[in-house]
Amino acid sequence: MDNRPLKIYLFFCSNSFDTDTARRYCAEQEGEELKAISLPCSGKVDLLYLIKAFETGADGVMVITCKQDACRYLEGNLRAARRVEAVDSLLEEIGLGRGRIKVIKPQEEGDVEHIIREVENFRAKISSLARSNSQ
Amino acid sequence: MIVAERKTIPELIEILQGHKKVLVLGCGTCVTVCLAGGEREVSIISSALRIASRLAGSSLEIEELTIERQCDNVFIEKAAEAIQRNDAVLSLGCGAGVQAIAERYPEKPVYAGLNTAFLGILEERGVWTEKCIACGACVLHEYGGICPITRCAKHMLNGPCGGSREDRCEVMPDRPCAWQLIYRRLKGIGQLDRLKEIRPPKNWNTSIHGGLRVIVREDHRI
Repeated sequence: MDNRPLKIYLFFCSNSFDTDTARRYCAEQEGEELKAISLPCSGKVDLLYLIKAFETGADGVMVITCKQDACRYLEGNLRAARRVEAVDSLLEEIGLGRGRIKVIKPQEEGDVEHIIREVENFRAKISSLARSNSQ
Repeated sequence: MIVAERKTIPELIEILQGHKKVLVLGCGTCVTVCLAGGEREVSIISSALRIASRLAGSSLEIEELTIERQCDNVFIEKAAEAIQRNDAVLSLGCGAGVQAIAERYPEKPVYAGLNTAFLGILEERGVWTEKCIACGACVLHEYGGICPITRCAKHMLNGPCGGSREDRCEVMPDRPCAWQLIYRRLKGIGQLDRLKEIRPPKNWNTSIHGGLRVIVREDHRI
């Protein structure tokens, strides 16, 4: 049984949330290590950032984007979704399976409740999966 | 440019089986532009291999390096020390790059991490298309700059075949009919008369079918 804390990385668009908001609403829970990484736009997230997160021990990665059609840079949130999909597929190739990475997108502007719910669901899912760096 | 795409991670793991220290070597030219084997892809593939190796309970050590061009000895020299201190090299260069490294280091296993696909261009963001099969006897001047050998599914030198629908190829309907493109292009440049000439069968001796090709420039050999 692996007893080390669950490690979750949270990449988020700083136009939708500031670091304090992200930390307040997605606070670290017992037995968990949460790393929040602010991005100037979710479209800045790259395959390399995401795969490095898993290489450095992440069990799950969330990417919080802004609402559909609300990206300040027009298509950053669309790019983020494509990159997350590419990494999900790469993780499957590696043998970690799908579902360890997820895009979380507000339904409405400032819809924090939805984000919190999605974050909680994702945490529960990741907890139920084996640790990513277990041998 | 040369267009390539990476092999899958399970394929790479199998290729590298038995090695403890591997150099993942990128190339800063064509495969960087087609997002298959540049510095960024070296990092992504190395990370993926480290995770896969950890999951398998093995201890594969990976070093990352990208040189300007793998197909040129002047640049290969810059990887000499890194190549020497690793058990094997996983080259993310094209097929020419892999072989150039292997020839230079006969005692070192050198593996291809990419599948070299074709000579092509970036058509739009994230889409590369084939434009040239390097047949060794270019006929582009006769067809308005559009290659019927590469771009026509039937490689017809005297087209069109008559099967195209709505400007699309009947063999690959998601692609334009090369002969439609040739016609439009020749019309645009006032050279439609070229289509009246019947082209004889092509001599394929200059292509790979004639064996390994070598170009010698005597004026550059001394």
